[in-house]
Order: sequence, then C-alpha cells, then structure tokens
Amino acid sequence: MIRFQNVTKTYKNGTVALRDASLEIEKGEFVFLVGASGSGKTTLIRLLLREELPDSGRIWEAGRDIVHLPKWRVPYLRRNIGCVFQDFRLLPTKTVFENVAFALEVIGRPKHVATNQVPQVLELVGLTKKRDNLPHELSGGEQQRVAVARAFVNRPLILLADEPTGNLDPATSQGIMQLLDRINRTGTTVVVATHDEVLVNWMRRRVVELDHGAVVRDQARGVYGIESSPAATAVAAAVAAVTTPGPPSGRVPAVAGGRHRARGQEHG
Amino acid sequence: MPVSTEYVARETASNLWRNRLMTIAAVLTVAVSLSLVGAALLLKQGAARAEAEWQRGTQVMVWMTAKATPNEVSAVGRQLSVLSYVDQPCVFRGHAYDFQEAKKLVGVVYTESGVTPAETPTSWRCTPVHPADSTSVIKKFEGQAGVLSVTAPLSQIRTEQRVINVLQWVFLLVALVLLVSAAVLILNTIRMAIFARRREVSVMKLVGATNWFIRLPFMSEGMVQGLLGSGVAAGVVYALHVVLDRIGSSTSGSVLAQMRMTGWEVFVTDVVVVVIGVLIGTGGSAIAISRFLDV
Repeated sequence: MIRFQNVTKTYKNGTVALRDASLEIEKGEFVFLVGASGSGKTTLIRLLLREELPDSGRIWEAGRDIVHLPKWRVPYLRRNIGCVFQDFRLLPTKTVFENVAFALEVIGRPKHVATNQVPQVLELVGLTKKRDNLPHELSGGEQQRVAVARAFVNRPLILLADEPTGNLDPATSQGIMQLLDRINRTGTTVVVATHDEVLVNWMRRRVVELDHGAVVRDQARGVYGIESSPAATAVAAAVAAVTTPGPPSGRVPAVAGGRHRARGQEHG
Repeated sequence: MPVSTEYVARETASNLWRNRLMTIAAVLTVAVSLSLVGAALLLKQGAARAEAEWQRGTQVMVWMTAKATPNEVSAVGRQLSVLSYVDQPCVFRGHAYDFQEAKKLVGVVYTESGVTPAETPTSWRCTPVHPADSTSVIKKFEGQAGVLSVTAPLSQIRTEQRVINVLQWVFLLVALVLLVSAAVLILNTIRMAIFARRREVSVMKLVGATNWFIRLPFMSEGMVQGLLGSGVAAGVVYALHVVLDRIGSSTSGSVLAQMRMTGWEVFVTDVVVVVIGVLIGTGGSAIAISRFLDV
C-alpha cells in the first residue's frame, strides 16, 4: 500500500529530515511512527500527502508513484488519504455535520451521499447528538473525533494521523486510538506518528522508529522504545491484564503519571 | 471536476457576510479608488468635448478676386460642392456682404481707403469636417484662376489642439496612475482577507479540493466586492457629471460649459468604471489566492 525506497529529504535550511529511508506498509496494516522531535515523522507524513517532494528516492502509494505525479493530480491522490492532525484543522464556521460533509462536497459527491454517509460516520465516532454544534462548542476530544470522521467519511485507502492525541488527555487519547483501530478493522491502512509512549505500548502494533531521518527499528507488535520507561511499562502491563490480545477495547486504568511523552533520543 | 454554482454562490454569500468588515473595507477601497479613476476619465472626455466645441464653426475661406468672372466663381463652387471633407453646402458671400463685414472688422479705415463694394473680393466659406482639413482646401484652391487667397485660422487651431492634447494626456495619465494605485490597494485588501483565511484554504487542500474548487468562491467574492465598489464609484462619477453640468449650463461660454457631456458619454464612463472594478476584484482575488494554493 505504501512503499518508501531510499528516500532522502533535505530542507532548504540544510536540515536532513529523511536519510535514505526505506519502508513498506501493507494494505490494512496499523503502523506507529515513533521517534524524537525532528526525527522525520512529520516529513514522512507530508511526503505521503505530497505536500513535499523528496530529493531522491521513490514513493509509491496504492501502487502509484507519487513523486512523479503531475501537480494537478495531487488533489485526487489526497482523496484516497484521510488525514488527522494534532490541531484538528476543522473549519470553524461550519457545524460538525458540515465539516464532515465538506470532505464529500469537495470531491463532487451529490448531496444525498452526504445525507446518507455523514450520519453513519458521526455514529461511528459517537457524535450524532453534536451534529449541529460548531467546533468551538466541542471539547478537544470531540473535535478530534470530528477530524477523524472527516478523514474517514470518504472511505480512504489510507488514514494518516500526525500526533492525533498530542492535545488530548490520556482517557480521550485512548478513545481516539480505539476509533483509529476500528477504522483499521474496516481494511483502511492506518499510519500514526506519535510521541505517546503509553498508547504505543498498549496497542502493541507495528512500530517504525525514526532517528535523525533514518529508519532504525521496524518491530511487529512493538513497543515505543527498546527500553520503555518504568511508568509506561507499568501502564502497559496493567492494560495487558485487563484487555484481551488484539485491538484494545477497554479503558486504560488510571495510573499516576500514566501518560509519558517522548523519551528523548535514546536510540540516537 | 465541475464546481457547482450552488456551492460557489453559498460560499460567496456566507464568506462575504462572515467577513463583513473586510468586505466593507474592500468595497470602500474599490469605491474611492475607482471614483478618482472615473473622475479623471470624465475630465479627459470633457476635454475632448471642449476641443470639438472650440473647433466647431472653424471656417476656411476661398477669396475670389474682385474681378473674378462668374464662371471662375461657380467653378470653385462646383469643386467645393464635391469635397467630402467639408460640410455641405458651402456658402457664397457677394461683394456687398464682404464689404459690410470688412467695414465691421477693420472699421472706418476700410471705407476711408476708398475701396468700393465692387472692389471688395467675394468669398466661398466652408466648414471643414475636421479643422485640420483646412490645409487640404488651401492647397487645392490656392493659385487657381480667379482665386485671390485661401485663409483659415490655422495657428489658432494648432494652439487649441496642442492645449487640448496636453490636457487629455494629463487626465489620461492621472487616470492610469490612479488605476494602478487602485489595483494595488484593492489587491492588498483582498490579499489580507485571504491571508486571514489561509488555514481554511489549507484544510480544503487537505481534503482533496482542486485549485479551482478553492479559487472560484474567492474570485466570486472579489467580483461581488468589485461590483459593489465600482457601482458606488459609478454613482459618484454620475453625481460629478450632474454637478459639472449644472455649473456649465449656468455659465455659458465658460470652460465647463464647453466640457458639458451627453448622458451617453457618462454612461460609457460608468460602464468602463464597473468593468474595471469587476476585473480588478475578480483578477485580484485570483492572484491573491494563488500563493496559498501552492501546497
């Protein structure tokens, strides 16, 4: 579904964001991209969205070479990719329903499609009752749910999430992860760039670690770091005790300091 | 993918209303700038009108010698009657008329010099379609049998033309300078409005909107702002015309009286102002949005 082949990206100021990175993600996979700030996670997401072009190397998405994609085709590429960001990026003047329906309107879907599909996806994210609210009337978690609904309403092949829980409390973050997991189960490939050690350890999905633009670890059912912090390990153990193997379904038990951020550059 | 007109209309209306302060700012900028442009265009046309007024009635005169035979006089008359560049018919003035006129112009000196009406030259008097055509009449008839001389107020015409030309260029230049500054001012206002909404544009790009899908509502907004602003400007231009016309009609013979324009000329100026406003509004928006689309 996604293939990076020897991709290097250097920004104008000389920062090397990706260094000869190669990566392959199969259809229907759920992958965490982890690594310290500046390790290249966001650049990787931006490259997948064709917001940036690599200096060298090739990138395939859904069998298409997106590096050589003509500029006018980029919007059509993005229609196959759902996107969720830390800052939600909702349209402040549109209601929840309109924000989600907008993703369909943009691609020229008739009104009745939105009338049918938007309520379904709002039900999936648990916001049926808030359909007429404006974004500023919602909590952070609810806003992120709207963003997820908007990203998914078009049934994209790939869903990219860049720090989707960065602005949310632990319980809400878990809810968003569960939502992404449910979306993944529909067959959508999900790629999540995150610093959230607890969630990564809890989810036990494939983990790709980036360090200074290079892929340094690619681990199936992995954890955030080879040596996760004691608190995160404790939380993960507690979660493992109450959840069945496979996709999480329960709440993360409340543990003091249970949400831990980036652990610096241990794998530098 | 075609962009639905319903979407463009809905987005345009809601954006104009939502950003009404910016809308008002843009409309006022267009209105003030184009009022000045329109006024300059109006004055340029007024100057052209004054030129036509000043030159109306400019006559070229073919003086026949006092002893010219009737055949020679009528031969000149025949030749004049077929000229396309003089208003027809030309008028013939006989000895008595020219004698009285000379007496009036020169005074008693003329009669005291002993010249009798019979010795006073007769003349053919024509009004050229364009004052400059006087030269052609002069060239054609000078030296012809029975012709004493051919005269026209050429130096006066040339001076008038020079003054009017300079005046027209000045007004045109002022209009152009104002137009450029108006365009920059309007573009900047629209750009500020779009800059405030760059986040919205980035979201639209993110969900796969084509550039035209994003651009069209902005262009439509610019067009409405341009239309409203230039509508006000057209009103100002019309009001200016009414004021100048009133002053002109009460002071016959003045420059303003000679600059009085027809309603049609004012209408054309207003149309030009509105077209400029719509083009600047629409084009300005298209240019302003383009830098936010390159993501």
